[in-house]
Amino acid sequence: MHAIKMPPPHHFDEMLTAENSVAETRTHSYTNRFATRDHYNAYAEWLRSSPEQMLTQRRAQADLLFRRIGITFTVYGDEGGTERLIPSDVIPRIITAEDWSYLEKGLAQRVMAINKFLADIYHDQAILKAGLIPREQIIGNAQFQTQMVGVKVPHNTYVSITGVDIVRNNDGKYYVLEDNLRVPSGVSYMLMNRKMMMRLFPELFLKQAVRPVEHYPALLLQTLKESSPIDNPTVVLLTPGRFNSAYFEHTFLAQQMGVELVEGQDLFVKDDFVYMRTTGGPQRVDVMYRRIDDVFLDPLAFRADSVLGVPGLFDAYRKGNIVICNSIGTGVADDKSIYPYVPDMIKFYLNEEPILNNVQTYQCRKEKDLTYVLANMKDLVVKEVHGAGGYGMLVGPAATAKEVAEFAEIVKANPNNYIAQPTLALSSCPTFVESGIAPRHIDLRPFVLTGREVRMVPGGLTRVALREGSLVVNSSQGGGTKDTWVLGE
Amino acid sequence: MLSRTASHFYWMSRYLERAENMARILDVTQSLAMLDPSADSGGAMTPIVITEAQKEFAETGLAPTYTNVVAFLAWDRVHSSSIRNCIEATRENARAVRGSLTSEMWENINDTWIALQEKSRNTDPMMTGNEFFEWVKERSHLFRGVTFATALRDQPYHFSRLGTFIERADNTARILNVKYADEAPDTFDEKEDQQSDYYRLSAVLRSVSALEAYRDTYRDVIDARRVAEIMIFDPKLPRSLRFCLDQATLVMDDLPKASARVPRRAVAELNARLRYGSIEEVLDYGLKRYIADFLKDMERFGSAVNAAYMELS
Repeated sequence: MHAIKMPPPHHFDEMLTAENSVAETRTHSYTNRFATRDHYNAYAEWLRSSPEQMLTQRRAQADLLFRRIGITFTVYGDEGGTERLIPSDVIPRIITAEDWSYLEKGLAQRVMAINKFLADIYHDQAILKAGLIPREQIIGNAQFQTQMVGVKVPHNTYVSITGVDIVRNNDGKYYVLEDNLRVPSGVSYMLMNRKMMMRLFPELFLKQAVRPVEHYPALLLQTLKESSPIDNPTVVLLTPGRFNSAYFEHTFLAQQMGVELVEGQDLFVKDDFVYMRTTGGPQRVDVMYRRIDDVFLDPLAFRADSVLGVPGLFDAYRKGNIVICNSIGTGVADDKSIYPYVPDMIKFYLNEEPILNNVQTYQCRKEKDLTYVLANMKDLVVKEVHGAGGYGMLVGPAATAKEVAEFAEIVKANPNNYIAQPTLALSSCPTFVESGIAPRHIDLRPFVLTGREVRMVPGGLTRVALREGSLVVNSSQGGGTKDTWVLGE
Repeated sequence: MLSRTASHFYWMSRYLERAENMARILDVTQSLAMLDPSADSGGAMTPIVITEAQKEFAETGLAPTYTNVVAFLAWDRVHSSSIRNCIEATRENARAVRGSLTSEMWENINDTWIALQEKSRNTDPMMTGNEFFEWVKERSHLFRGVTFATALRDQPYHFSRLGTFIERADNTARILNVKYADEAPDTFDEKEDQQSDYYRLSAVLRSVSALEAYRDTYRDVIDARRVAEIMIFDPKLPRSLRFCLDQATLVMDDLPKASARVPRRAVAELNARLRYGSIEEVLDYGLKRYIADFLKDMERFGSAVNAAYMELS
């Protein structure tokens, strides 16, 4: 029988209900008496009836398997053993069928609007003409690729693969924190977590229906093939190589889809067609699922010092001889300074009300917002507009007065580069940590695929901040992951 | 199949084979040292000479003792052919193509690498020497076994085998070169010191797992001429030059032929010389010269394979 540490009052916990946490948390002690939300009842019943050592044993088993299989990620600048395991928690995050159906609709709507927005700003720019978004915010954006203006993209699908970061606040509502439209990663951990949980806890999957996710690579391959105008195209996955932090994922997806995993040096362009070098001679490539950033794709078109890309690739792309997924120049839409406009895009392009909530966002480029941000910095999360991985940001409530003052100077020096949001509490989920089962904050990254239609597997990757009280879930900063269960109807 | 993938498979196998061969050579060196601890330290340098690491070893400034030589060839971080670095390189090459390996192959080589990290923290290399060499051999055998049992008989498998046999032939030739050519140049008259010769020759045979094969084949005392014969010409001995080149020829038949005229001719010529040669001819020609020619031709074959399948530009 496991004892559980209760979350602080007023926090939203995915599993434990608020009522009984009040009495227990006065002492912050571990308790055996806990009440759970309905969709966690079956799991809780199992947890209550299992012996205490069991989780410890199975977690040890899981660690061994992960290490053996080499499910690692690389930490940059980390000396001595640059390959690390991402801790995978043994307690699942469970989502009701109802919640998922809501999220699924909202995600599809959001991604459709974003694709229309990208097609628009690289062609007619109707949304700018309508005055909904200030022109200079698009044209002056570092992520806006001027070379892409007027380039025809098959089916107008700019973003084939999207990872949307969603959190749940104190009010129990879901909020979109950001859209990852360039090279979103993490889906392999979603798949490995499920594989591991099914291996370690088969009895749990017999107790209740958990919707499967294992067909993700098949959906991805279908999406990539549909992106090409030709029949049965040759698909490759372009990786920066084995020193990249997500290399495991690249090999995993290539293998699961049965496509070649290529590096820039494996490819060449001749007469505006792209070929890979094989033992049987050159072979045409029709679709490229690239896992490297825009600027490294083609040293002739973008960064001249890139050794990861393929000279001439952009010309081949512009002439329609290869499909690149995601397209070039999508970063302009996941920039944090554009994020506040996504609800407007949904209304403008789809004539619908946004289903998913955005987080209230202050744009430091606006004088009024900047004043507010500087005055309330200790209550806000301040982020760089192009930042990623949890770097270049300030979490006001967790910072010292000195840190806040220093960051204020940085923001003042270049306000255009920053946005701020109220500090969301982030829901918690019981997590098996060193001291036992205790609440830790989580988020959710579902992966949305856009081919002839929008598809996704139920759930996504749940990231968990393993340090007590921490809100930073990024794997590069001590985050772990959890298997994510969407229950059957 | 991508040219780069072919190259990774080829080198993955070459490095693992190299690690195994190094373990074999060191194992034998060590047992010879134990037989006669009073012998001059010249013998200690033999593994360095076989693997052509004189320059690298000299740069360490270490005295040429058994302990130093073994520590250097097993664990040195700088020397590219130390067992540690060979296993690292095997795993790096495997990691580069892990999507094309069977999961059993990947997990096996990754396990080896994880265990190597643990062993590298162990202190006294001489104390754990024999156990370590046995372990390296065993891991190499295991990997080949897993490959044999799980890999699709497709190009990755063929390139992997090609790497194994090219590296192995090279190694057997080098052992012959040093153990014979230098110490007993081309003459195989009765030795005065029969006993020391017995140990020396049986050590050579053991280093290529051929002691039992020798007994089965000749059922007679071990003599230098027959040792050379079995190591060069025996078609049934898995580490003989003949066997390696027979296998390499078969592998070349399974690979794409369109751009492979040059390496196919090279391997056919090498193979023909072993298939229709004899130890008498070799001794007439001079063993040292024969081996030098062989090594040069192997190198030419290796470059031709590289040019035909693996070059990126």
